[in-house]
Amino acid sequence: MPDQVISTENLSKTYVSGLRRKRVHALQGVDISVERGEIVGILGPNGAGKTTFLKILLGIVSPTGGSAMLMGCPAGSPESRKSLGYLPENHRFPTYLTARQTLDVYGRLSDLPSTQREERIPMLLKQAGLAGWEDSRVGTFSKGMMQRLGLAQALMNDPEIIVLDEPTDGVDPVGRREIRDRLGELRRQGKTILINSHLLSEIELICDRVIILNHGRIVRAGTVDELVTQGLGWRLQLKGVVPDDVSERFTCHTEEDASGPVLVLDTGDVIDLNALIDHLRSSNVSILGIERNRRSLEAGFIEIIESGEVQA
Amino acid sequence: MRPLSGSLLLTFRELWAMRITQGMFAIASLAWLLLSFALNMDIVEGSISALKIFGFDAGAPMERVFDEATGEWVQQATSIDQFVVGINQFVFGASYFLGTLLGLFATMPLIAGFLEQGRIDLLLSKPVSRLRLLFGHLLGVWLTVLVLSCYLVGGVWLSLSLKTGVWLPHVLQSIPVIVLMFAVMYSVVLTTSIISRTSGLGLVLAYGLIFFSAILSAHDQLIPVLAPTSAAIFKGFYHALPNFIEVVMMQAQLVEGSDVTRIYPFISSLIFGVIIHGLGIYWFAKRDF
Repeated sequence: MPDQVISTENLSKTYVSGLRRKRVHALQGVDISVERGEIVGILGPNGAGKTTFLKILLGIVSPTGGSAMLMGCPAGSPESRKSLGYLPENHRFPTYLTARQTLDVYGRLSDLPSTQREERIPMLLKQAGLAGWEDSRVGTFSKGMMQRLGLAQALMNDPEIIVLDEPTDGVDPVGRREIRDRLGELRRQGKTILINSHLLSEIELICDRVIILNHGRIVRAGTVDELVTQGLGWRLQLKGVVPDDVSERFTCHTEEDASGPVLVLDTGDVIDLNALIDHLRSSNVSILGIERNRRSLEAGFIEIIESGEVQA
Repeated sequence: MRPLSGSLLLTFRELWAMRITQGMFAIASLAWLLLSFALNMDIVEGSISALKIFGFDAGAPMERVFDEATGEWVQQATSIDQFVVGINQFVFGASYFLGTLLGLFATMPLIAGFLEQGRIDLLLSKPVSRLRLLFGHLLGVWLTVLVLSCYLVGGVWLSLSLKTGVWLPHVLQSIPVIVLMFAVMYSVVLTTSIISRTSGLGLVLAYGLIFFSAILSAHDQLIPVLAPTSAAIFKGFYHALPNFIEVVMMQAQLVEGSDVTRIYPFISSLIFGVIIHGLGIYWFAKRDF
């Protein structure tokens, strides 16, 4: 099985609407590569092209340019969808079906034999915390229960790639943690997960990597750690008196916290950090700890979007 | 086959969950139960001498016939064969009109639900081709109409045949006509819904075409009085659009067991249905959701 499970090359989508043939460039030359076992968050403001991107992968929308491959098959082909599970945003299950019937119908549509459906339905409902609700009508379910049933549905065919659009939408904090744990479990099983969510705190906790889209282009891609620390400096917990010339030689400032002085190096450059450490050690200042200065993913996201930057 | 069965199952369950489908089954059950238990008749020498409904005397049905010996029209008791044909014609006519109108109304939310955001994208994400997915939906609708027609019309035919001993199997030839004409009109709802993403418009168009077919059915009287250009346009509509009303005459001939004198309206309607279905399928296969 290939290690690169999702790849897109120069993927573009232009919607043409109305009598005046108004053109909206939803995606413009998007190149993405996702490795097996990764959990990747797709972020972006409304209208950034996230849903279009996911729908092209699923074959719900056709691209106007470029290509997308899933597990080595062209995206959108029934073959590529065999290894795919999808939870759409605001999914609508027929309200007259029971939870069991819902999974059975979508299992059939996924071409699962009855033996596999019989085996997987109770297991998935149990994992979704819906044991005891098997024969209840979906119409009686709360939003959170619907979301968990949606996730169970996405896992019916034991997919290699799972695409989740707002998976924790409407789910209470306990339910959100359960979904996060479940996604962690799936990652350990080697599943690849793409998540589109506005809950950036969730993305920060779940994802290995994030891709930020804006105006149909990738504006930033990297690990969560890179995004929350990029451009930020270091915090050094010290013991002793900070030499006076430090602020002259380095771009830094001093703060005081409960455990003593903290020297904040404002640049993220490792060479600067090493030079500062050497200087402090030569001045007999003890360094108790070093950590990266961090911001929340949300703060980083807003900064990137507001700066209007585009990745080269 | 499994994805097709999933799509079929979804359509059947959705149709059954609709109160209107259950209501149509209830009306059909009522119709043939009434004929089975509420209708009683005395038959003397092949004619109905007395007719009772719920035990009340409804009088013997009479018919006007031309007496060649006297050269005059006379009233005589309706023959049992004629009575059975008459009842069947009424039931078939009602099924054709009401069944189609109610059927289209009942299936409108079905196609709306099928194309609803959050539902259609989930269906399209499954490893099944769009063609097969739509075919499963269509097959489900057609089969439901077939079952409903067989249940109502077949039930009425069976209970009348058992009651009177008059078995007229040719009457049942009318069932496929009902189903096919429903399919023709449903193609309008389906294709319009797929193109416009609004099912209400499709229903209005289908009802409009049924109404317009009443005007088209008067083509023999209208064409001679129209100006040449208008007559040509009218003829164009006559050949291009479904002739829903004119097919009723063919239905009546089928129920009577007489030769069908004019099959063209039915054939041209079927061609219309095939083209519109084809357009809907093409659009469904190509469009973004």
